[in-house]
Amino acid sequence: MFALVDVNGMYAACEKTFDSAIRNRPVIVLTNNDGQICALCGIAKRLGIQKFVPYFEVKDQLAATGGIVRSSNYELYADLSQRMMATCARFAPQMHIYSIDECFLYYGGYRPPGQTWQQHARQIRRTLWDEVKLPTGIGVGPTPTLAKAANHAAKRIDGFRGIAVLDTDAVRRSVLAKMLVTDVWGIGRRIGARLNDLGIIDALTLSEQDPSRMRKRFSILVENTVRELNGEVRLSWDEVRSPKQEIFSTRSFGNRITEPFELKEAFAAHAEIVGSKLRRQGSVAGAMMVFASNSPHDRGGFEKKSTHICFTIPTADTRLILAAISSSIDKLYQRGIRYYRCGVGLLDISASNRQQFDLFQSAPDDRGLMACMDQINARFGRNTLHLAAKGFDPKFSMRREFLSPQYTTRWRDIPKIKC
Amino acid sequence: MHPVTSAKTAGITGFESPATEYTQPSLDLNALLIEHPSATYFGLAEGDAMRDAGIFNGDILIVSRAVQPAQGEVIVANHNGEFICRFFNIAERRLEAANATVQAIVIASEDVFEIEGVVIRSVRMHRQLKDTFYVRPG
Repeated sequence: MFALVDVNGMYAACEKTFDSAIRNRPVIVLTNNDGQICALCGIAKRLGIQKFVPYFEVKDQLAATGGIVRSSNYELYADLSQRMMATCARFAPQMHIYSIDECFLYYGGYRPPGQTWQQHARQIRRTLWDEVKLPTGIGVGPTPTLAKAANHAAKRIDGFRGIAVLDTDAVRRSVLAKMLVTDVWGIGRRIGARLNDLGIIDALTLSEQDPSRMRKRFSILVENTVRELNGEVRLSWDEVRSPKQEIFSTRSFGNRITEPFELKEAFAAHAEIVGSKLRRQGSVAGAMMVFASNSPHDRGGFEKKSTHICFTIPTADTRLILAAISSSIDKLYQRGIRYYRCGVGLLDISASNRQQFDLFQSAPDDRGLMACMDQINARFGRNTLHLAAKGFDPKFSMRREFLSPQYTTRWRDIPKIKC
Repeated sequence: MHPVTSAKTAGITGFESPATEYTQPSLDLNALLIEHPSATYFGLAEGDAMRDAGIFNGDILIVSRAVQPAQGEVIVANHNGEFICRFFNIAERRLEAANATVQAIVIASEDVFEIEGVVIRSVRMHRQLKDTFYVRPG
């Protein structure tokens, strides 16, 4: 069996863990630079506030109901995510972390002794609430896709209240009948539309299709989905875990940027982020794309320039990534443009231990130096050691006006307790 | 301790220490004091109501959400939206101070009351911490 555990409104839930004063009030969390709403607690959802709406549109409504707004506090969310995952790991022989607030538990042939799956799921949910104060939904099923469907049911279909177990054919069929094909894991909007054209609207109908015909019409991925919906495990753990093929770091600036050195500083920050992500998954990149633009809403028109850079020898060295960006900055920068956004994407990513070396040139990466830098930053916190090129007063840092304290990662922010 | 190691050496080897094979990791206070790291948090004690229990203004509380409070244990509770540290008299539903000048709180049915963990340890700063930590009551 597989179980999928995820947190309801993760970011909003995290805001409530150490701030008891806002537990029973509507809470919304904003994206980078406080633009849009990216998470809501249950109370805010019930007020009819929607995700991905600009904050200013709901500002008054929220204030009138005594609601609370918060900027994204990634330091807090990452720490609580780690606590959640460590707690989940106690319950199953194998675990796969799927995102900041989601993990698959894989039981294989193991059954929790003396418990039904229903009781087991309830115990996980209870423990996560008691020990980490995070509200979760749990779906249990014989395949990853069915566990995901069960999780959907647990949260969206009446009568499940946070837990759904698809352990009999009757439950499986009744849940799939209430789901749209686009609610099924792995079916995107485009394939969903094509399925709808064929008259396949709900997940149950999809599960009744002939798998090999689905493969011919669509792809092996859709065939796998159909088989998984019927209880046949097709996704291997490695597929779910595969390292990223592209790594991007992009961000809009809190304040517009007009000078070339400022733009370079922003690129240096992005180079550091993608470089450390690349090294963490043990990869090197053979190519890179770099872009800078103003806002599409600017009056003078949208200006976006991007360029593509190939490395002779694939690299994971932040300094080489930045050097390549610096040498092409003249192609990107144009005086008079008020830059709103820039970013770096690493492409052509491969494993660093399976590299083809150049006959005439030794690998220029200083792996020892990069490993040393990563370890220092892991131990003493991000940005302890960084490239001087990034500057020391970064203008592109995020606007986070409504930031809560870093209760669990910074001593001066630990919760105050009245004695 | 998590030492930063690097493969770089100056190429000078010298004599191997006779203690190499006996090296053990140094003592780690986290390992001693915290049984359930993912369910434990730190808090800053503000006030003197728990003085006679050995908890003073400015102490650091180590609070565990993994254990159930027993009768009379020191807990952290959310009482009407505020984190408060008291003895928990479960039998009489009272939060009792360890200071004769502070009145006990009777938990009324209309109060917001949630247990936010058991204070399993507390840390007293006999000398002030380095300024960089700023752990000071407001």
